[in-house]
Amino acid sequence: MIPLLATTPVYGLPSYLFVSALLFAIGFFGVLLRKNTLVIYMCLELMLLASTLALVAFSKFNGTLDGNVFVFFILTIAAAEVAVGLAIIVALFRKRHTVQVEELNQLKH
Amino acid sequence: MHSMLNHAILILLLPLASAVVIALFLRKRGAVASWLSTGIAGAIAAISIILLQHGERFESSVEWLRFGTFSVSLGIKYDDLAALMLFIVGFVGFLIHLFSLGYMRDDQARARFFGGLSIFMFSMIGIVLADNLFMIFIFWELVGFSSWLLINHYHEKQSAADASKKAFIVNRVGDFGFLLGIIMCYWANGTVNFTALGQNHVFSTAIPLLLFCGAMGKSAQMPLQVWLPDAMEGPTPVSALIHAATMVAAGIFMLCRINVLMVPQALEVIMWIGTVTAVYAALCAIVQRDIKKVLAYSTLSQLGYMVAAFGLGSIAMEHGEHKMVIAAGVGAAMFHLTTHAFFKALMFLGSGSVIHGCHHEQDIFKMGGLRTKMPVTFWTFTIGVLAIIGMPFLAGFFSKDAILYLAMEKNTAVFALLAFTAVLTSFYMVRLWKITFLGEARSDEAKHAHESGLVMTLPLIILAVLSVAGGYAGVYGKLAGSVAEMIPEAHGSAHTTILLVSLAVMTIGAGSALFFYKSAATDTLEEKFRFGFSALTGLKESFDKLYNYYVAKVQQRFAMVLNFLEQIVLAGAIIRGLAGFAGLVGYGARAFYTGSLQAYAYWFLLGAALLWAYAAGIF
Repeated sequence: MIPLLATTPVYGLPSYLFVSALLFAIGFFGVLLRKNTLVIYMCLELMLLASTLALVAFSKFNGTLDGNVFVFFILTIAAAEVAVGLAIIVALFRKRHTVQVEELNQLKH
Repeated sequence: MHSMLNHAILILLLPLASAVVIALFLRKRGAVASWLSTGIAGAIAAISIILLQHGERFESSVEWLRFGTFSVSLGIKYDDLAALMLFIVGFVGFLIHLFSLGYMRDDQARARFFGGLSIFMFSMIGIVLADNLFMIFIFWELVGFSSWLLINHYHEKQSAADASKKAFIVNRVGDFGFLLGIIMCYWANGTVNFTALGQNHVFSTAIPLLLFCGAMGKSAQMPLQVWLPDAMEGPTPVSALIHAATMVAAGIFMLCRINVLMVPQALEVIMWIGTVTAVYAALCAIVQRDIKKVLAYSTLSQLGYMVAAFGLGSIAMEHGEHKMVIAAGVGAAMFHLTTHAFFKALMFLGSGSVIHGCHHEQDIFKMGGLRTKMPVTFWTFTIGVLAIIGMPFLAGFFSKDAILYLAMEKNTAVFALLAFTAVLTSFYMVRLWKITFLGEARSDEAKHAHESGLVMTLPLIILAVLSVAGGYAGVYGKLAGSVAEMIPEAHGSAHTTILLVSLAVMTIGAGSALFFYKSAATDTLEEKFRFGFSALTGLKESFDKLYNYYVAKVQQRFAMVLNFLEQIVLAGAIIRGLAGFAGLVGYGARAFYTGSLQAYAYWFLLGAALLWAYAAGIF
């Protein structure tokens, strides 16, 4: 297998994974703690991208293309998901005039 | 393909078509419905005569259902037995349809009545033409249904509604045994086709006896006889068609169909049940006041005669130089069935004419003097009475003699009882005849009685002719073909003995009734022999009382115990318990649904953590 980059990386794999985990944790806590649906949505995207960073790093250090292929798929799906998700949020705002999660609590027993 | 098969299929489907058309389109149009039904009945009579005359006998069947190796087929078996029965059903049925046109003219629910008659004709013809026991069972239930429908014609009357339910339920008891017999026959022989059974079958006492249970219900034999007298609540033409001439005779017809399965032990039981029914019903008939009830008990008694004749079984006959065994039971039973269909339909229609003429009065002690007011009814009814009591040269004489001769050859006790029944038969029939028609009119209804119209008297006249001619070989031989050859015939000294016995029993019975009874408003027997009268009344009621006691005190209590168990265990513990448990779980699980998006995210996190822990093998 031909290496993707001829140069040796400056930092090792753990450094990349640490950044990825940090981004994921920021995204996750954002989802848990923020009240605006739009912000929660951005945090979800952040979690998704954190996982793609990890996949790219694996691909680089293993010297295979598997991780890169995953990333392409994730980006495609994420684009579709953004289209649907944003449309839902816009529709929700038109109907309820708010996107605050504490007010979107009708779906319960 | 047999050339006559189409005719047979047509004769089966015509009345069904008539019933469907009446049920769907003619419910409000009684006149059209009655003409349609009668027209179809006329066509059936015509086709049955064409089939009979054509002489071709055939059978054919198609597979209807198949489950693995088990298959049910529908087929037509048209042999001499079916030809004879089809003629009776078609011809007598047509005459009764004709009579009903007059009798039911003012009825509000005429369309339902004639629709019921059509569905009955369909079911009865189905029984006659069926080539296997499963098919007979289907149509057996259908005649039960049509009988229920027609007994229940005056359904606003509580007694009629009760009588129809009683008829249906009592028949169910017999049919349960019948169904068991059919299943057992299939299990033992692998087939229920009559022809296949005739070629090869397993000998068994249980199978014919279980099948006989069906005949016991339909032909109202002891101990299931209780429904037939009550069934007289239906309109009189129905009593004539279903409860005298055809449906109740279906039991005897079915026995003749399965004659090959019979074994001596089963025949012995059948013989005794028939004999006991004949005597019992004849005793009950003596104390009846209702003209139709007398005829109903008389029908029971005559059915007992036929069953006893069938049970007497085969006999060795000298035929020229060689001896041969013939199924004399079948021959004698079918012979009596035929003549009985003629004269009993005649008498029932006659009683219908009387009831119609007397403005629906049925008590014979309120009649009297109808001889001059209703001459046609009187003379035809007289012929019917003479035929049933066995007056020489009338149809009943020949068929009754055949049975008595067979009994004399086979079993002396049965012979004595049947001869005694014949005495009673002439006694109660002459009683009925004298009280109804002779003397003075004893009520306003009888005073204003009028003869019925031609549409009602014509069937009476035709049936009277058949009641005279039906016993002669020239007529019956043509109708029955090879079935007529199985009639036992007495020769030599036996012939003289039978003739003397037959004449003696008729003279004793008829003579004593003629002298004993006055055509008066009260029952002479009740006045002079109060004890005997009440004993006979008690005998009549004993079965109803016994069954009432059983149903009310035993079965009802058992049902209450079952109901209690059902309420507590099934409905209470199991069904409500399970529902309650599921509800409880749901009540707990509902607490998770807070409506807060972020709470769900926490649950998701927890779930993911658990999944990870499980995958990592922590637990």
